[in-house]
Amino acid sequence: MADDQVLIIMTSGPDTPRRCATPFFFATLAAAMEYQAKMFFTIDGTLLLKKGLAETVYPKEGGKPVSDFMQDALDAGVEFFACTASTELHDLEPEDLIDGVKMVGGAYMWQMAEESAQTLTF
Amino acid sequence: MTIIRGCELPEDLYYLIDKHVWAKPLESGLVRVGMTAPAVGMAGGKLAGVTVSRRKMDKLVPQGKSVATVESSKYVGPVPAPVTGTLVKKNEKLADDPNLAANDPYGEGWIAELDPTDWEGEKASLATGASGLAAYEAALEEAGFSCD
Repeated sequence: MADDQVLIIMTSGPDTPRRCATPFFFATLAAAMEYQAKMFFTIDGTLLLKKGLAETVYPKEGGKPVSDFMQDALDAGVEFFACTASTELHDLEPEDLIDGVKMVGGAYMWQMAEESAQTLTF
Repeated sequence: MTIIRGCELPEDLYYLIDKHVWAKPLESGLVRVGMTAPAVGMAGGKLAGVTVSRRKMDKLVPQGKSVATVESSKYVGPVPAPVTGTLVKKNEKLADDPNLAANDPYGEGWIAELDPTDWEGEKASLATGASGLAAYEAALEEAGFSCD
């Protein structure tokens, strides 16, 4: 177990915009605290990885779009993983997703969880 | 206290300019560290938290590696150590009032204290005095940043 790895499982998406900023903020914070922070996207979270979509989701009216929070996380070194089964749920192809996302299966999620000091789900 | 591009910057502190942190050698031999006025400005000015790393307490932190995290509603980032040292103390007041670091960054808002590994050697890598502030001013100009 890597005592410096943390995992955030992101299941929230555009239908619940208020839930879409904090998980990325926590990931960026973990990276600032020098954890190796990983985010696994599944269920509706995967929609946020669709090119152009996160730019249209606003957790707070008049505030930053989710895409800004996502870019902050990526810039801080957070790694994004997309659940391949959830892309099928939303009829998404790999080329529909933003750059920098690794597509992985569910077993990989369990491996990351095993390796992580903490796993949070949003 | 010198004001550079609207930012207060004391001449007698030692700055790791590109990380916007200051170091002050104490009589005890420890080095006190904190964030500079530009750092406060870049974080948005109103802080939600300044958290010294619990994991790294009593551990050796290399120069440039994080000793604390700063959070505001628009920013989160590390507070890097200006010199290599063992993290030995944190400012307890910041837990209840993180904005001490914003309002009095060089006084009551200090962040942590390190037992330095090689202060005499490493301080040469820090900017201080009039020439140090000139270098900081140049860096802020290049970044297009000012505190006002």
